[in-house]
Amino acid sequence: MLRLLKLEWSKFSKNNVIVLLTSFFALFFPASLYIGKLFPDDLPAFLPGKQVFFNFPTVWEYLGYAGNWTVFFFMGVMIIYTVTIEVSNKTMRQSIINGQSRQQFFFSKYLTILVLCLIITLYYTIITLIVGFTSTPNPSLSLAFENDMAIPRFFLMSFGYMNFAIFLAFMFRKSGIAVFFYLTYVMIIEMLIKWLVGINWLDLGVAVNFLPLNAIEDLMPMPWLHYADFFQNGDIDFPILLTYTEACIATAVYGLLFLGISYFSFMKRDI
Amino acid sequence: MQVLQVNDISKHYGPIKALDGLNLTVDSGQVLGILGPNGSGKTTTLGVILGILKPQRGNFTWFENRYGNDHKLRIGSILETPNFFPYLNADDNLDIVRQIKKVPQQDFDELLELVKLRARRKSAFKTYSLGMKQRLAIAATLIGDPEVVIFDEPTNGLDPEGIAEVRNTLQEIANRGKTVIMASHILDEVEKICSHVAILKRGKLLATGPVGSILSNDITLEIRSSDLQRLREVLSQNPSINSIENKLDYLECLVEDSLDIADLNASLVQNGIKINHLVSRKRKLEEEFLEITSKQNN
Repeated sequence: MLRLLKLEWSKFSKNNVIVLLTSFFALFFPASLYIGKLFPDDLPAFLPGKQVFFNFPTVWEYLGYAGNWTVFFFMGVMIIYTVTIEVSNKTMRQSIINGQSRQQFFFSKYLTILVLCLIITLYYTIITLIVGFTSTPNPSLSLAFENDMAIPRFFLMSFGYMNFAIFLAFMFRKSGIAVFFYLTYVMIIEMLIKWLVGINWLDLGVAVNFLPLNAIEDLMPMPWLHYADFFQNGDIDFPILLTYTEACIATAVYGLLFLGISYFSFMKRDI
Repeated sequence: MQVLQVNDISKHYGPIKALDGLNLTVDSGQVLGILGPNGSGKTTTLGVILGILKPQRGNFTWFENRYGNDHKLRIGSILETPNFFPYLNADDNLDIVRQIKKVPQQDFDELLELVKLRARRKSAFKTYSLGMKQRLAIAATLIGDPEVVIFDEPTNGLDPEGIAEVRNTLQEIANRGKTVIMASHILDEVEKICSHVAILKRGKLLATGPVGSILSNDITLEIRSSDLQRLREVLSQNPSINSIENKLDYLECLVEDSLDIADLNASLVQNGIKINHLVSRKRKLEEEFLEITSKQNN
């Protein structure tokens, strides 16, 4: 396992695009929390004050939501790139020719995802603890970790996005198409499926929340959506968010599904 | 010892048959040239035996299954183009191959010396000329001291100097006693390097064996005189001449090796024909290749 990880490191540690995307993630992920500083002091009474961005325990949710966007964008695109660059440079086929089995090549990519998820979850935990301990009045360890399993949820969310990204990379094999589909699926296509097809046309109710990317997103949702009932009108008579348990199970099921399809497709196709 | 056994492999892309029931055996120490025109299935054959293309039918065995699934660690190969990470230098790229081949850490000095790339070892691969890229690929095939090396059109796209350099390197590798499998449509190249040939056309194996057995014992004669028509008439009466072909300003005859050139010359003189050009040479692989593949056309 360590050998496969070392090999991936040798391949990509000197790649400018990878270094750039990783640096942007490392920078923008914690920096985006400071959007909270821009909020006015006189927020409506039903909303909490802007200190929730930085104080325990809510800092876990707000930084987690920042991770929801930054992991989706920077890490997702990076994972697609690590596969498609191997296709375009034909180093994928050369690796197989040189002696890697298809299984080894495939699992080296998934192993990289798992390690990246562990690293960025650790990063999330460290940043949250630093921000929380420096901002919360009278912080304590018990308050600091009163976070509704935010750490494993963040890990699963990261894995969900990167798993979806690598699934598209293995299926499409061209970076332009894979990245375009990845971004448009998450930001447009699934929204259209959810609202136009699921709600307006088929009237599927709460089932629309179980669409793959919605489930991943609901692991670390926009914290203010917990107040969404306040805004809801008669058109939607079901909770706007999945429970964390539902989101975890759905993400894990989709994860296995995407992994399985990618694996069998990669094993069967010409390289 | 048998290095490769290919049994009845067929591979098609939709309606196009790239390989059609191919059978092939390669023994240890052979330098096998796989010959064929473009689209004959040479690269597909190599792709299948290297595991990147999945055949619809048939199977193949490397090293009589001695190494199990690790057989490719004993093979060095370039397929079509040199494939490396463009932003990495020669050392970094070779190190990736070394890791895949599970070879202990090494400095690649000897390999880079062999392919004359030591001076540019720290330059990014993307800055290399085509010849340098090809030579780096050849160096990569030798990592781990493989038993078999496979090259696919190794001199494609190179200038004459590059062709000569790569050819010399290949010759040196062949001289080390390694089994070499080389696909090419440059027959001169194969004739110079290979001990055995396999001729493919439209995915079928037309002929295989030692180069000497593929080349017939017949001799090719080039003869010119001022009256080519009369010359042709006289030559056509000679039973040792199997065929006569008109060239630009001479006749090319395929003759049995028992024919005495001095007797032929004397008979021409007796018939009042003065020849001003006479060359006798062994048949070239190119001529055999064209004859074998044209039979297939017919």
